[in-house]
Amino acid sequence: MSSALQPPTAHRMIEASGVHKWYPNGFHALRGASLSVHRGEVVVIMGPSGSGKSTFIRTFNALEDFQQGTITVDGIALSNDLRQIDAIRREVGMVFQQFNLFPHLTVLENLTLAPVLVRRRDRAEVEAQARALLQRVNIAEQADKFPGQLSGGQQQRVAIARSLCMEPKILLFDEPTSALDPEMVREVLEVMQDLARDEGMTMVVVTHEVRFAREVAHRVVLMDHGEVVEEAPPELFFTNPSHRRTRAFLDQIL
Amino acid sequence: MRAELFGSPGNSALTLALLAALGSAAFGLLHWGLVQARWAVVRANSTLFAVGRYPQEQQWRLWLLTALLAAAAGLAWGLLRSHPRRDRGGDLWPQNDWIAVGLLAAIALAVPWWLRLDPLIQGRWWGITALLLLVRWAAGHWGRRLPARVLALLPLLWPLLYLVGMLLINGGLGLLPVPPGDWGGLLLTLIAASFAILLCFPLGVLLALGRRSDLPLLRWGSVLYIEFIRGAPLITLLFLGQNMIGFLLPGGLAPDRVWRAAWVLTFFAAAYLAEAVRAGLVAIPPGQLEAARSLGLTIPQALRTVVLPQALRVALPTMVGQFISLLQDTTMLSLVGLMELMGTARTVMANPAFLGRNAEVYLTLAVLFWCCCAALGLGSRALERRLDPNPAS
Ligand SMILES: Nc1ncnc2c1ncn2[C@@H]1O[C@H](COP(=O)(O)OP(=O)(O)OP(=O)(O)O)[C@@H](O)[C@H]1O
Ligand SMILES: [Mg+2]
Repeated sequence: MSSALQPPTAHRMIEASGVHKWYPNGFHALRGASLSVHRGEVVVIMGPSGSGKSTFIRTFNALEDFQQGTITVDGIALSNDLRQIDAIRREVGMVFQQFNLFPHLTVLENLTLAPVLVRRRDRAEVEAQARALLQRVNIAEQADKFPGQLSGGQQQRVAIARSLCMEPKILLFDEPTSALDPEMVREVLEVMQDLARDEGMTMVVVTHEVRFAREVAHRVVLMDHGEVVEEAPPELFFTNPSHRRTRAFLDQIL
Repeated sequence: MRAELFGSPGNSALTLALLAALGSAAFGLLHWGLVQARWAVVRANSTLFAVGRYPQEQQWRLWLLTALLAAAAGLAWGLLRSHPRRDRGGDLWPQNDWIAVGLLAAIALAVPWWLRLDPLIQGRWWGITALLLLVRWAAGHWGRRLPARVLALLPLLWPLLYLVGMLLINGGLGLLPVPPGDWGGLLLTLIAASFAILLCFPLGVLLALGRRSDLPLLRWGSVLYIEFIRGAPLITLLFLGQNMIGFLLPGGLAPDRVWRAAWVLTFFAAAYLAEAVRAGLVAIPPGQLEAARSLGLTIPQALRTVVLPQALRVALPTMVGQFISLLQDTTMLSLVGLMELMGTARTVMANPAFLGRNAEVYLTLAVLFWCCCAALGLGSRALERRLDPNPAS
């Protein structure tokens, strides 16, 4: 199955090394986490609840700050420079567990808002692109509805299309299927799988969907206590992990 | 219904007793209003109640403004109906609109007649009502051809009209100036209330955002302001404003007494509005701002297009409640000697010719205020329905 995946290139899209993060209340959430992601690569991050997975990927688009270590996204080093943060956010899309669609805008407006406002693109052109994207995630007929009128699976597909409409170089997914009813998980995973296979999109996915990780990921990563504990190709990760904590984690979810 | 009202002997007795009480109260009021009351006090002073001592030969400006307002109202009404929401659709002429048209026509016919207004003035009211309905019809009929982009500019109509209105009322640019001291009655009430409503809105939003800001100085400044204003009774602030603004500003710059009071009203209402907006902001999940930020929107862009539209919709009922109490609070201006509706009423009642006719005057005032507040309430409910992304039906 993974033979259908495009091989990643050598170009490094995300380079995080030795990242430490303390939350304002003093909690030490990231303890020297490191990860590098190549262009076209799909990396799945797994790990027990509270291990810092969300915190880690949220540092990649500066939704969270960090106190030590370095993160470079497509050659731009993350610092506190606001203009650089804006530049990085334009290149990095993010899909959330709770979808976070804008409920007061129609599906189509959810997609066109940022390209028109941020990239200053022509509205008609963006609308055409948005409709094409909705077609691709199989919800073209819902364009004029409001998010609250869609099912969870449909909403998450809209959220993916919304990110794609900004034409990002990297997509981050934070448990994109955890809030969905089981029968809707598939339709969302299929969209993500197509993205990886057909577009060669660079993706970092926090998920506990083992099948998705086996079939789509180039690498699977285990986080625990704010650190990256193990990195391995999926065949190895699931059958013969080298680390004791990985085995303990897999025993719980498999 | 029947089972609820007459289910048991106890219920039946209670229902009958309440009906009797209601009936006798209604009869008493009708009898008083039609037989005992002497409405001459209202009829003879209708101009005073409407505009105070605004000079007669300049009143055409107020008629012009009223006509403009009626046309604008008709325009907004018709355009909103001709551009129903794309996801829901809607009639060009729903049943509610026919009821509204009927009510408007009835009021326009009955009230001038009942007040025994001059036939000329009566005709003007009919003309203005006809204008409103005509524009409503025309905007509904041809509005569909206007692109939605034009519709988005509609809210700007009101601040713009306010400026035009102030020019007409105040004079200047070739029009004879009419000093604020000559404004009175309903005119002054509406000027003060609309000034405060228009200005306290942006001020309140800024204060609410300031209260949630990361910058400590801004945050504490906003908190201090809001809590101070909310802790002080309006009447003390009004007196304070009359006495203090003169000291604070150099000689000629201090605004007229009317404007001092209007500013105090604005600053007062802004603090309450800020709290309503804050409640709206709190109700918006943080994920909304995060999603907007991760799409590359700057914070001002995210606030303007994502957070505030939702927060203001949540806050809308509370905000309109504030606007309604603001309208009623204008009666306090009479206590610092201004001749708005309440002040006018007090001078009229002090006139020996109308001694003992207080009930008629107060009832008229109550009905006038009720009409204004009901209009605000109806408008806000229509807006709420239009902005609701998840209607029950
Ligand atoms: N705003 C915050 N302030 C303080 N501590 C926080 C904050 N957000 C998260 N944490 C803590 O940081 C740790 C890591 O949180 P994070 O959400 O990154 O974990 P996670 O691996 O994504 O877990 P889950 O699988 O439950 O989503 C947790 O112990 C959490 O309690
Ligand atoms: Mg998480």
